[in-house]
Amino acid sequence: MGLQKQGAAGNLCHTQSSLKTGGRELPLSHDILMRVEKPARYTGGEVNAVIKDLSQVEVRFAFCFPDIYEIGMSHLGMKILYGAFNRVPYFWCERVFAPWVDMERLMVENHIPLYALESGNPVRDFDFIGFTLQYELSYTNVLRMLELSGVPLRSADRTDLHNIVVGGGPCACNPEPLADFFDLFFLGDGEEVDLEVMELYRQCKKEGKGKPEFLRRASRIEGVYVPSLYDVAYNPDGTVQCYTPKDGAPATVKKRVVLDMDSAYYPDSFPVPMIEVVHSRIPEEILRGCIRGCRFCQAGFLYRPFREKSMETIDSQCRALCASTGYDEISLSSLSSSDYSCLNELIDTLHRWTEPEKVSLSLPSLRVDGFSPELMERIHSVRKSGLTFAPEAGSQRMRDVINKNVTEEELLHTVDVAFSEGWTRIKLYFMIGLPTETMEDVLAILELGKKVVDTFYQNKDKPKGKAVEVSLSAAAFVPKPFTPFQWFGQDTMDELQKKQRALKGNVRSKRVNVSYHGAQTSFLEAVFARGDRRLCAVMEKAMEMGLHFDGWDDCFDFSKWMEAFAACGLDPAFYANRERGADEVFPWDHLDYGIRKGFLREECEKAYQAVTTPNCREQCAGCGAACYGGGLCVAKR
Amino acid sequence: MLQNVRIWFQKTGTAKYISHLDLTHCMGRALKLSGLPVWYTQGFNPRIYMTFAMPLSLGVSGERECMDIRLTGKAPLEGIPGRLNARLPQGLRVLGASEPRHKLEEIAWADYEVQLDAADGKLLQSLTELLSQGQVVVTKHGKKGDKAVDIKPHFAHISIEARPGQLALSMRLPCSVSGSVNPGLLLEALKLYKGIELCGKTVRKGLLLEDFSPIW
Repeated sequence: MGLQKQGAAGNLCHTQSSLKTGGRELPLSHDILMRVEKPARYTGGEVNAVIKDLSQVEVRFAFCFPDIYEIGMSHLGMKILYGAFNRVPYFWCERVFAPWVDMERLMVENHIPLYALESGNPVRDFDFIGFTLQYELSYTNVLRMLELSGVPLRSADRTDLHNIVVGGGPCACNPEPLADFFDLFFLGDGEEVDLEVMELYRQCKKEGKGKPEFLRRASRIEGVYVPSLYDVAYNPDGTVQCYTPKDGAPATVKKRVVLDMDSAYYPDSFPVPMIEVVHSRIPEEILRGCIRGCRFCQAGFLYRPFREKSMETIDSQCRALCASTGYDEISLSSLSSSDYSCLNELIDTLHRWTEPEKVSLSLPSLRVDGFSPELMERIHSVRKSGLTFAPEAGSQRMRDVINKNVTEEELLHTVDVAFSEGWTRIKLYFMIGLPTETMEDVLAILELGKKVVDTFYQNKDKPKGKAVEVSLSAAAFVPKPFTPFQWFGQDTMDELQKKQRALKGNVRSKRVNVSYHGAQTSFLEAVFARGDRRLCAVMEKAMEMGLHFDGWDDCFDFSKWMEAFAACGLDPAFYANRERGADEVFPWDHLDYGIRKGFLREECEKAYQAVTTPNCREQCAGCGAACYGGGLCVAKR
Repeated sequence: MLQNVRIWFQKTGTAKYISHLDLTHCMGRALKLSGLPVWYTQGFNPRIYMTFAMPLSLGVSGERECMDIRLTGKAPLEGIPGRLNARLPQGLRVLGASEPRHKLEEIAWADYEVQLDAADGKLLQSLTELLSQGQVVVTKHGKKGDKAVDIKPHFAHISIEARPGQLALSMRLPCSVSGSVNPGLLLEALKLYKGIELCGKTVRKGLLLEDFSPIW
C-alpha cells in the first residue's frame, strides 16, 4: 500500500468545527480529512450501518478492530457479531478501526478522541470496548486505541462498571501478553457468549452492582476468561508453576462452541464500505473447523469440531446478502472450502440464480487435492492469470512431519491439469523453520518448483506462446499454542536467514522466482503467541515508545522492540526459541479448547517420526473435540 | 430496445471523501439493488453500463452531477430517484432522471464555489493582490509530468463575497474532456505567493455547455 508522507504543517488553518452529516456528528473537520490518505476510512455513513436512537439503547458496545478500516471491514467475524449484537433492540454495537499513522498524529495534535463511526461518539462513552485479536503484531494497536480513547490501559485502573475491555478471536487462546489490560476474554465462538455477557452487564447495571461483582459473575459463564481472577506463580527458571483461580472462578475455562451452523446467527446484511477494501464481496461461511489436522495450523485445532452448513441455509443466506449489499461476488469461505461434502452440488444450486443475476462465486485458497477441472469449470471468476497452492513444505518427509497429507504426485498432477486448462502462473506457499527441518528439506522447495516448470514443458495442451511462471514464497514458521508444535523452539533468526539465503542463492531456473519474508516479525509473533503475563510490561513499554502497526513494514521497528524487552528485563528468546519440556505448564493450560494436551503431545511425537494422521473424515484421531457432542465428531462415517 | 437515461445526483457530505472510482462502485451496487432493468456491458466480464461526466476531485462536493445508464426495458423515469436513493449511502442523492438532451462531451465549463475561512480582512487583501499580478504561475501536475502554467486568465474574473468569518469565491472554469482547470490551483498560488495554506471547501455547482447554459 502506497503511503504518502505528510509534509510539515505550515501556516495551516485549524477550524475545530465538527463535521455534521446525516444527523451524525463526527469530531473531525474538513481540513483534517483533507490532510489524510483515504479520508473515507474515518467518516462512516455506509449503506447498512446501524444507527439507533440512544434513548432506546441500554448497552453500548464499541467493536474495535486493531488495524486499518480496509482490513477490518473485510473481516467476517466482525460482520457476524455486529449483526448479532444489533439485533437486540437495547444493544448498540458500533465500529472502530485503528487510525492510520497520518490520522493518528492529527488526532493527537488536535486532541480528537478515538470515536465510533456510527454515532461519532468517543469510545470512552461506551459500556464495552471490544477488540478482536487476530494477529499478535496488532497488540500494540490495541493499546494505542485505548490510549487514543483516553481510557486507562490497565484493567485494575478502570474501577467502575463502565468501559469494560473485552477480547476475542484466535489470539484469545493465549491472551496472557494482554491479560493486564483486559477485563475478560471470550473463548471460542462469540455468537452466544458475547450476548450473555452483555445481558449480564445490563442486569448488574440495573441492580447497581459494581465491576468486581460483574466480573465474578461473568467468570461463571462458559467461554468467559477473567484473567484478574487467576494468580500466576512462576518457577525459578521462569516457566509457569501454576495458575490459581480465586473468587470461585473455574480451574479451567472451556471455549464456547455453536454446534448447529444452520440455526446459528448469520447476518442478512452488513455495512458496505464506500471505498474499496481488501475483500469487496460477500463472505459466506460454508463450514467451520477443519478435518485436516495440519500440525502447524492453530486454526485447524482451535475451531474443532468440523461443522457444515446445509446447502439450503447457505443458499438462503447468500440470497439475503445479495439483496442487502449489492455486491456481485460471493466468496464461499472457510478454512478449507474444498472439504465441503458436496461442493459441486452447492455451486450448481447457487448458480441457478447467481448466473442470471450476474453474481460470481469464488473460493479462497484451494487444497492441492481439492482442485478439479469440474470445480474450475464451475468457478468462472477465477482469473486465468494465477493459481495459488500451499504445499507448505518441499520434501515429502517434511510434509509428513507437518501432516499436510499432500503428495508431490498430487501437486504435479494438479498443476498439469491447470496448465491444460490455460493457467501459466502458479504460486506456491511454503514454510521454513519447521521442526526437524534440514537444509536438504529447504532446498527441496526449489526442486519442487523446478518440477512444476518441467511439468509445464512436458504438457502437450499447455497454452501456446506463453511462458510459465512459478513463484515460491517462504514464510518463517511460528509455533503456536494448541498445536502439536507448541513445545517447539523456533529457529533463531540466524538460522532462518541462513535458510532464506540458501533458497535465494540456489535458484537454477529463470522461470522460478523465490520470495521470503520476515525472520524478525516471525520472531516477535512467536514471542507473543506463546508469551506469558510478564510480557504485559513489554507491551506497555512498546506502546509508550510509539510502536504501532507492527505488521506493516512501514512501521515495524525491530531495534525498538529489543529496547523494550531490555527495559523490562525480559529475554524474548526465552519465549520464541526455547524448546519446552514435555511436562512444562503453559500459560494457556487453564484454557480448554476441547483438544487434549495429551493428544497434542502424541501428535508431536508422531511428527518427529514423520508419521501422518488421517483426516477426521477418514478416521477419528481422538483429539477430544467430541466432548462438544456435535459436528463431524458425532456424524456417521 | 435500449433506453438511454441520464441520472442527476449530488455528491456531498461524507460521500465527497470517496474517489471517482469508488463512486462508480457505489452507484453500481445501488443500481443492482434498485431492481431497475439496467443494461450490462457485453463480454467476458459483464458490468453495469455507466458513463460519468467530468469526475470530481476527492473532497470536492458536487451539487448537480450526472451519469448515463441504459435500461433494457421501459421504466418510468419519475420512479428512478426513489429507487436509487433507498440504496445509496449518506451523501449520495439522486435528484432526477431524464432523457439525455446533450452529449457529455459537450460539457465545457463548470461553476465552483470555494469557501475559505477568513477571520479578518487579510485574506481578502492577499487574494486581491494575487489576482492583480500580471501573471500567476503555478505547477500543474499532469499525466505527462509537471508543467508551469499561468492561471491568471482563468481566475481573473472570480467574484468574492464576504460572509461572517468567511470568504465565498465563485468562479467559472474550463471543465471538459480536452482539459480542465482545478479550483485548487488558486489555493496553491496563495500558498506559493502569499505563504497562506488554506484547505477550503469546494463545491461544484453545476456543469455547463460551451454557451454557459446548463447541460441537460
